[in-house]
Amino acid sequence: MIIAPTLLLLLFLGAPALAAIPAPEGFRALDTLSDAGKSLSLVWNASPADRADRIVQVWMADRPDGPFKKLAEFPSNTRYVKPGDFPWWAQPARKGDHYVKLAASPTFPIEDGKPYFVKLLVREGDQEVWSEVAEATSAPNVFNTAQLNNLVFVLAFTGVLLASIAAARRNPHVPLRRIAGLDAVEEAIGRSTEMGRPILYLTGSGGMDEVSTIAATVILGEVAKKVARYDTSLKVPHRDPIVMAVCQEIVKESYVAAGRPDAYKEDSNFFITSDQFSYTAAVDGIMLREKPAANFFMGSYFAESLLLTETGASTGAIQIAGTDSDHQLPFFVTTCDYTLIGEELYAASAYLSREPVLVGTLRGQDFGKAFIMSVLVLGTALATIGVVVDSSIFNYVLDLFKDFK
Amino acid sequence: MIGIDRRIIFLLIAAAVLLPLLRPFGLPIKVSPEVRGVYEYIEALPERSVFLLSFDFDPSSKPELEPQAVALLRHAFRKNLRVIGMTHWLTGTGLADDVFSRVAAETGKERGKDYVFLGWSPGAGSLIIAMGQDLYKAFPSDYTKTPTQGMPVLEGVRSLRDVNYMVSLAAGSSGIEMWYVFGKDKYRFEMAGGSTGVIAPGLYPFLRSGQINGLIGGLQGAAEYETLIKRKGTATAGMDAQSATHFVIIILVLLCNMFYFVLRGEKGKAR
Amino acid sequence: MIFLKRQLPLAITFVMGVTFAFQYYIPHPVSEEAITNVSKWMQIISGFALALGLASIFHVHAVKIKRQVPGWGYSIVLYAAMLATIVVGFKSGGETKVDGAQTAFGWLYDYSMVPLQGTMFSILAFFIASAAYRAFRARSPEASVLLVSAVLVMMGRVPLGQFLLPWTWDVTQWLLNVVNSAVRRAILIGVSMGQVALSMKIILGIERAYLGGGKDQ
Repeated sequence: MIIAPTLLLLLFLGAPALAAIPAPEGFRALDTLSDAGKSLSLVWNASPADRADRIVQVWMADRPDGPFKKLAEFPSNTRYVKPGDFPWWAQPARKGDHYVKLAASPTFPIEDGKPYFVKLLVREGDQEVWSEVAEATSAPNVFNTAQLNNLVFVLAFTGVLLASIAAARRNPHVPLRRIAGLDAVEEAIGRSTEMGRPILYLTGSGGMDEVSTIAATVILGEVAKKVARYDTSLKVPHRDPIVMAVCQEIVKESYVAAGRPDAYKEDSNFFITSDQFSYTAAVDGIMLREKPAANFFMGSYFAESLLLTETGASTGAIQIAGTDSDHQLPFFVTTCDYTLIGEELYAASAYLSREPVLVGTLRGQDFGKAFIMSVLVLGTALATIGVVVDSSIFNYVLDLFKDFK
Repeated sequence: MIGIDRRIIFLLIAAAVLLPLLRPFGLPIKVSPEVRGVYEYIEALPERSVFLLSFDFDPSSKPELEPQAVALLRHAFRKNLRVIGMTHWLTGTGLADDVFSRVAAETGKERGKDYVFLGWSPGAGSLIIAMGQDLYKAFPSDYTKTPTQGMPVLEGVRSLRDVNYMVSLAAGSSGIEMWYVFGKDKYRFEMAGGSTGVIAPGLYPFLRSGQINGLIGGLQGAAEYETLIKRKGTATAGMDAQSATHFVIIILVLLCNMFYFVLRGEKGKAR
Repeated sequence: MIFLKRQLPLAITFVMGVTFAFQYYIPHPVSEEAITNVSKWMQIISGFALALGLASIFHVHAVKIKRQVPGWGYSIVLYAAMLATIVVGFKSGGETKVDGAQTAFGWLYDYSMVPLQGTMFSILAFFIASAAYRAFRARSPEASVLLVSAVLVMMGRVPLGQFLLPWTWDVTQWLLNVVNSAVRRAILIGVSMGQVALSMKIILGIERAYLGGGKDQ
């Protein structure tokens, strides 16, 4: 008679004890991977019991016996490692585990080389449980392992380039697609010579640290060689003094290479101003006054592109443009006779000189592009199949082509 | 007619720009998802969050980008965010400071307490890296030469990692792409872009891939943002002129094609 | 001399190129410090390079004045304007505002630089119209596609177009987000490959034209 109610009472009293919060499993602290230091990472297993009203607090101290300071607080059903957070070859925790990164802050500075002690408090209502104390020491890393795939691709592409150059040296007869704009260079220079009017060549808005400006200066060298042979006047107004200095040397060398050092004029390259629209106004003035027969716009451009090309078009000049500034391409295409789009500008030096080494580089670039196109098709197919069959196995392949930080 | 004097076209454009400014017709402005993305992110930021606004333009792009800056600042100040301003373009410094002073005065915000304009420092990408390591080393003082260390508005802000949201208003290079590569990619703050109408289409790949979470393109984008914050400004006023100009160009292009086909037909008949 | 003009610059290019290519993969603070220092060096070099540019301006216009070529009076105007801006700038300490009050330099900025730059940028509106009138002709199927898309986007991007033909807004959004994004991405990928290839050629010394011509190997 007494036993059943007593058992029921014990069950009722013991129910909270039976439902006690479990301590976080697999809790560990480690130095954050692939970072500049002053940061620690915390990892622990996910639990089916994780929910919004169960709170996790992170406490840290610089001594094992404390005093511990609370650094963060969040619901227990948050802070998971999601697909795409880390590459499979450099992940601090499995997908689905909890992961928290603690960076140095004014509240709690983290010094490299010094051990820190971390523990978690899980609280739900009146109940709470502490994890074990985990120790970790922060240190800066020398290599970002998450970007290993990036480095491998860069090295592979470099290898392909060098192999293509070696192949081109052995067999220099590499066919190149016709680029109308570059074929027209000779025509433009001939036209200027016949009309007795100068050639205007612009190297764009960029400095020598921009690849498009370097490409523009290389083309200038080729153009200057032809100009030297035809004995035509060349004008190269500049926005950047360093580019001007480089172009002066390039043009001088081109005249020497063409066997016409006497025809070289020091003033052919001159500085106007660094300001965008002041430069544009000055060049427009040159176009309207001196009426060059051929205008070359090579390099990177911004809003001034249409102002330059439309003015040039109004003077009746033949205009050849080449830029990697895709936002200005529509203006060049509508106002110029020929436009080199994007990488055609970079290919120009190879095209004009037909040097085997330079032509070989183009082939290497083409291999790179073919690889990217294949990856696009393969990646799209694998990602789609993965979604359809609800499997993450293809992520092992897809991760190889992702950019992780 | 097909070889019409350019000056007639220029006159028509001038009329299309001027007449609506004198006699506005005021049409509703539809808001695009890319502009809404910026608005909703700022709207969701808690009070006193840190908002970095980079004025990466100069006076030539003022007509398109200043209305964007004004609208963003009005929104940020209304939300009581802490605003940090700066610029990568030396020639834009005076303009940027003027915008800050004007909008702060109308919203009752105080320099040093609610906002700070850091001014310009050389370096472009390396300046962003320097700001990502230590903001106070990158900018020891603000535009008014007040030391940044200890400023109430910068309390708790050590570097770009402490920025909650960032918008770059860009007219060209030293803009959005640079902020993404050297800033968001390394220091993991969320960012959006505002740009001139010309470079906006080139930024859609960044928007589609999530590298920026919103894009305010040109005067139209600024007008959309003014609609969202329910405060009309110069962008909304300019949309009538922009509408008229677009239509004049469309009519001219259609007329030109009409004459072209008529001429081609006549040449064909003559043969 | 050949060593200074050829071998030494090539060696510096190789070492710096390889170092800073690998810097991208090294998160260590030393790596970040290195790139910050190198950027500061670049700023210093740019500052000195400006002197080159100034020398060029003075030389070109001095020749024009000496030879009294047509328009030489404008060269005098250039000198006068440069000198005036420099003097005013120094006197104002380079500040456009001091204690809220506009300085003379600020006056020059607000009342000459800003309107002049704005004017130049505004000319684009007129030039776009004349370029569009000349270029947007349906000469071929591709040109027709260009023409139709241009007209649709011009309508869809302004309130009047959205009001008259609401569907142009949806078409514009689709063109910008899908077609435009795809094409820009393709150009971006191609340009990036070209940039990497050209950068590798420069670092490895294969491309040497920037040194001042001469035969590439």
